[in-house]
Amino acid sequence: MAPVLPLVLPLQPRIRLAQGLWLLSWLLALVGGLTLLCSGHLLVQLWHLGTFLAPSCPVAALPQVALAASAVALGTGLVGSGASRASLDAAQYPPWRGVLGPLLVAGTAGGGGLLVLALGLALALPGTLDTGLEEGLGTALANYKDTEVPGRCQAKRLLDELQLRHHCCGRHGYKDWFGIQWVSNRYLDPNDQDVVDRIQSNVEGLYLIDGVPFSCCNPHSPRPCLQSQLSDPHAHPLFDPRQPNLNLWAQGCHEVLLGHLQGLASTLGNMLAVTFLLQTLVLLGLRYLQTALEGLGGVIDGEGEAQGYLFPAGLKDRLKTAWLQGGVARRPAPEEAPPEEEPPKEGLPEA
Amino acid sequence: MALLKVKFDQKKRVKLAQGLWLMNWLSVLAGIIIFGLGLFLKIELRKRSDMMDNSESHFVPNSLIGMGVLSCVFNSLAGKICYDALDPAKYAKWKPWLKPYLAVCVVFNIVLFLVALCCFLLRGSLESTLAHGLKNGMKFYRDTDTPGRCFMKKTIDTLQIEFKCCGNNGFRDWFEIQWISNRYLDFSSKEVKDRIKSNVDGRYLVDGVPFSCCNPNSPRPCIQYQLTNNSAHYSYDHQTEELNLWVRGCRAALLSYYSNLMNSVGAVTLLVWLFEVTITIGLRYLHTALEGVANPEDPERESEGWLLEKSIPETWKAFLESVKKLGKGNQVEAEGVDAGQAPEAG
Repeated sequence: MAPVLPLVLPLQPRIRLAQGLWLLSWLLALVGGLTLLCSGHLLVQLWHLGTFLAPSCPVAALPQVALAASAVALGTGLVGSGASRASLDAAQYPPWRGVLGPLLVAGTAGGGGLLVLALGLALALPGTLDTGLEEGLGTALANYKDTEVPGRCQAKRLLDELQLRHHCCGRHGYKDWFGIQWVSNRYLDPNDQDVVDRIQSNVEGLYLIDGVPFSCCNPHSPRPCLQSQLSDPHAHPLFDPRQPNLNLWAQGCHEVLLGHLQGLASTLGNMLAVTFLLQTLVLLGLRYLQTALEGLGGVIDGEGEAQGYLFPAGLKDRLKTAWLQGGVARRPAPEEAPPEEEPPKEGLPEA
Repeated sequence: MALLKVKFDQKKRVKLAQGLWLMNWLSVLAGIIIFGLGLFLKIELRKRSDMMDNSESHFVPNSLIGMGVLSCVFNSLAGKICYDALDPAKYAKWKPWLKPYLAVCVVFNIVLFLVALCCFLLRGSLESTLAHGLKNGMKFYRDTDTPGRCFMKKTIDTLQIEFKCCGNNGFRDWFEIQWISNRYLDFSSKEVKDRIKSNVDGRYLVDGVPFSCCNPNSPRPCIQYQLTNNSAHYSYDHQTEELNLWVRGCRAALLSYYSNLMNSVGAVTLLVWLFEVTITIGLRYLHTALEGVANPEDPERESEGWLLEKSIPETWKAFLESVKKLGKGNQVEAEGVDAGQAPEAG
């Protein structure tokens, strides 16, 4: 039985493979480092916006997995560069012979698995983010007035800072503020007839007004901010109908935050895809280099033609017998996963 | 008697040259950092030049940029010299240039030190520029229709939100100017007419502030208007209320920001200056040690390196003598010519 995907590698192509692999490994290390930074950045952003995401929403899983995956990719890149550099030097190669096999297995299983998981999470993120933000922002808006309640007293400050920084107002627009009570009861005069009227005008006894907090104000507006009596066209004289939208921020915070986080996640997803591609190439190259050099018995400068392969000959048969003997009801997938017990010193290619 | 004599054998000389080569290239990196810091400072000053009436002094960032470039040039040249110092043939062509080059290095170090000092000392001029600029900026807050000033409202609002400040020295500065444009005032209303008549200049003054002065840390919705009228708002006392608006004035906020920036830049420049001084001293030692190798056929010989050939007072006297000689040089020549002509005539 022939080995899987064999490739004949005489001396010159071997050297070229090692040199190309060295370059590719450094590139992988660079991209892995950048992905590490990107996932760290996403993690920090999600931590900052933690109050506006529902706690049940597991969005933090993506950057954490991406962090682990990019760390493994960085390690693979460094190992690859070291091994390919050593394979060109007869004195440096022997110590690498023992460790290269297990490292390749770890890189493929660990790195590949984590990367696939991270890519899957990146694709699934928009849905979870949408529901999480909907719930989180709704809670934040409802808690805006509770500046005296322990555990919720920061909601006002955080929501004001969010609206100021991200240039948004309410969940989907400024009218969201008309539907909730955002003025604390402590600052409402119970003797004021207007207050009493408003509270009695709705079933839940909420003090609802057609006004918004100051953080909704848009500094680009040419006139001082109009925050109150927004539904009454006669309340503010000389209202210019040509510029109705400059007074407050037009966008809702849901759209703004969703766009912002999705942008970050898609950048991260792209970088993870590139890392995945590079890591596959580096691992394949390392495997071919390793098996070719083993074929020569570890002698680097041997002029002989060695054959590099992915999996040794007879692997299928060996796995079949192992499965039959073990009698475990598992799906045999010899081509997808590398064999767990692969002796680092592979014998000469079988005829 | 030479100043700070150190003996150098061949190995030590080689080590000194190699160490200096490395330090010079690190210093080129430091020069690039100084250039970057100068550029950053310049950009920060330009970003808020509206608040400073466009009259801020760019002396500090410009000199940092210049010093960064000069440092890169000088240090790469010194690196080349140190690299060639190990080869007597190559060093021979640098020999005559080394003494003037060291003098230039000393001057450069002095100027770098002065620039670092300037970073710390220009705070005072910035304060007066800021006070003046902010006052004018606030005056133009309402001119959102005047071309050339229509962005002042947006600039001041974003400044107050970003730096968490209000007004020039405090929020009461807004009570003294008209910050609401006439275009949005209903002149048929009695209240507006009363306010305009209440002061000499006919301005619409309110005891209110723009929304950007509001402090999000306040537990109650922001009170912007009728700030001095306790009865206008439920459970409000303007004398004890601290969290409603930002308390700091924007002049103090901007000043502290720029002071911190310039202090850090000054500290980094001082560190780079120390590094440069070390390099100049090392280069001087290398120069004198190589001069001490009198016989070029015997490079293994031990030689001595020093900072100054004679002690400081003697060197100063010799320097003055040479300056005087330079002045007397022409006179001596003229006398020599006359003396020459006199015996001929005689």
